[in-house]
Amino acid sequence: MKAIFITLLFALSLPLGLFSAEDLHADAHDSASVGAEHAEDGGVISELAGNFGISWPTLVAQMVNFCIVALVLYKFAVKPIAATLDERQQKIADGLQYAEEMKVQLAAAERERAEKIKEAAVEAQGILAESREQSKEMIEQKTQEAAAQAEAIIRKASEATELERQKMLSDVRQEVARLVVATSATVLSRDLSDSEKQTFSDSAAKELASAGN
Amino acid sequence: MTESKVSEVLAGLQQVQHRNHLTVLKTFLNYLRRELALQTAVVSTPASLSGDALKAIEVQFSKLYNRPVNAVTQEDTSLIAGVRVRVGDDVYDASVAGRLQRLAESVN
Repeated sequence: MKAIFITLLFALSLPLGLFSAEDLHADAHDSASVGAEHAEDGGVISELAGNFGISWPTLVAQMVNFCIVALVLYKFAVKPIAATLDERQQKIADGLQYAEEMKVQLAAAERERAEKIKEAAVEAQGILAESREQSKEMIEQKTQEAAAQAEAIIRKASEATELERQKMLSDVRQEVARLVVATSATVLSRDLSDSEKQTFSDSAAKELASAGN
Repeated sequence: MTESKVSEVLAGLQQVQHRNHLTVLKTFLNYLRRELALQTAVVSTPASLSGDALKAIEVQFSKLYNRPVNAVTQEDTSLIAGVRVRVGDDVYDASVAGRLQRLAESVN
């Protein structure tokens, strides 16, 4: 950037130099006669300067002026512009680098996402298979439990029915026995005569008496 | 237990004049009743019983309890026929009603 600026200043200063040279050339014609005289006295450089119309004080002043202008331009125009350009270039470079990084990160994130999705799919498949297995086992277990419970209920119902039947049979037996006893007692007490009762009582007494022997 | 022994005990109690005389006499009376019950065979029967049968019961239960047992008849028509002998807390049943009852119980 600096090189470009220096080149530009040089190009701009060239017309100024030429303009000054023309001025000097005009002055040189005026003082040609005088110069010829100086040349004869001063040497080759002075003769050349006189031939080209160069006035050393003017040249030095223009050079100083040029340096000042160049410094001012460099200080207040070129440097901020260069800084701005550098900053913009840096920003662009950073942006490009950031974009590249983002691309890389995006690619990595994409790969990671794909891997994650793949892992998630595999894990989901595993979970699904495990869930199916567990549900199958649970269904089987529940079925077995239900069958066992049904069997227990049936067994209990059967036992209860059997107990009820036994109780009913026992009640029937008791009732029948009671009826038989009551009927027999009634019939016997009605039909047995006194002599028969006495005979039975005697035999029962003898039976009791002989039972102890 | 004989009448003479009872008379002897009563005379002794009369002489001693125990502080709780009435209580002792009541206890002795209960003892006598229990002894009498143990020496008495209550023969329950719906009809009259022959003397031989009654005598056989007396002999048998005297031998069984190893003391003299007197048989006393008691009419009980609920027995239908047969006899039921009670000596103290022991009951010997040979009645028709008792047999029917045992039959009914055996059915259960």
